[in-house]
Amino acid sequence: MRGAPIDVLERVPLFHDLDQGEIGQIALLFKERDFEAGETIIQEGSGGAAFYVIETGEASVTIQGKPHSVLRQGDYFGEIALIDEGPRMATITAASRLDCWGLTYWDFRPLVEANGVIGWKLLQRMAMMLRDARAGGQ
Amino acid sequence: MNGVVALEQASELAAFGAKAVSLGQALRDGLPVPPGFALSGAFVDAVAAADDAAIVTLVQQVAPLAGPLAVRSSAIDEDGAAASFAGQHQTLLNVLSVDDLAEAVREIWWSANSDAAITYRKKVGLFSRPNVGVVVQKLLAPDTAGVLFTRNPISGADERVIEASWGLGEAVVAGLVIPDHVCLSRQGQVRERRVGYKTVSIRPVAGGGTVEVELPLELVERFCLEDSQLEALNRLAGLCEEVFGPGRDLEWAFERGTLHLLQCRAITTART
Repeated sequence: MRGAPIDVLERVPLFHDLDQGEIGQIALLFKERDFEAGETIIQEGSGGAAFYVIETGEASVTIQGKPHSVLRQGDYFGEIALIDEGPRMATITAASRLDCWGLTYWDFRPLVEANGVIGWKLLQRMAMMLRDARAGGQ
Repeated sequence: MNGVVALEQASELAAFGAKAVSLGQALRDGLPVPPGFALSGAFVDAVAAADDAAIVTLVQQVAPLAGPLAVRSSAIDEDGAAASFAGQHQTLLNVLSVDDLAEAVREIWWSANSDAAITYRKKVGLFSRPNVGVVVQKLLAPDTAGVLFTRNPISGADERVIEASWGLGEAVVAGLVIPDHVCLSRQGQVRERRVGYKTVSIRPVAGGGTVEVELPLELVERFCLEDSQLEALNRLAGLCEEVFGPGRDLEWAFERGTLHLLQCRAITTART
């Protein structure tokens, strides 16, 4: 049994408050997913249920058709879909061959439901991110 | 329950999905389905999660097929009239060996969890975890392939509708060509025969996967089925209706003159 590299997941803000054991449990739920250059990974406005961490390669981000940023090794995207399955907020396209680790809502939710400690830490982190976002908007 | 079974042993819909179970039923009733294996949804989950034991089992069980292989999804509990997953889940053709199977299975698992698939699921009111089985078969190298409706899917008329082209049937299914079109009476008489415009075919490629190949000019507007093949297709349509009931949507292929049944499911678009 494998899973995503723990040091990569430790850099994801949503997981910052989790200890090594808790991140280890989440890491085991990740599955490898590879994309060819030019392949659309997520489409702005579409439904989504997976969060991705890049192991190698580059991906371009566009919002409403305009170039926004480039994602590289260790970067991640789609984490909000882990919680709400809501519509994607950007289009992400593989700019090169891209090796990722992906975690779906369906695999993540049972772990959180079964583990109140992890659930509470994620909730606290989400509240902090919301507070930061509000402060940034003022 | 064993997560990998020979296709003819696939009978549990909730475990293996509609495609695997219908092909298993077809084999048990003597229909000409290429041999293969069915992987349960739980087993596909384990392979996608890189479970070492599952991958070893997969390679050992499927080894007799050798390569090249056709690896297709078999959506579980969802491949019915209300929500056809045709085109949503991936099919991988020309997987070169059983050693490449785990990656192919993982790709199919992800195709069921892709944004496109999730969007489609929500559109048809499905908010549950996707569950996908897999069918692994020896890949055919067909001369001609296509689809057959045992009843007209547009008008509902009691006639066979055949669409055919050169090479693998994916050229027809994916709409890459204007296929040859034939309507047969239930007795096999040709009611309508319209030659298509077939500029490309899909062929296996040496390094794995498939490629679109431009067809020679003389094949573009040449009818790809002989009368004897139309008769064979009409017989197959009748046999499928005997086994599964009326209103079937078949995928078929002729390889070196032998007719193979690749899929048999209920028509989802007919007016009845």
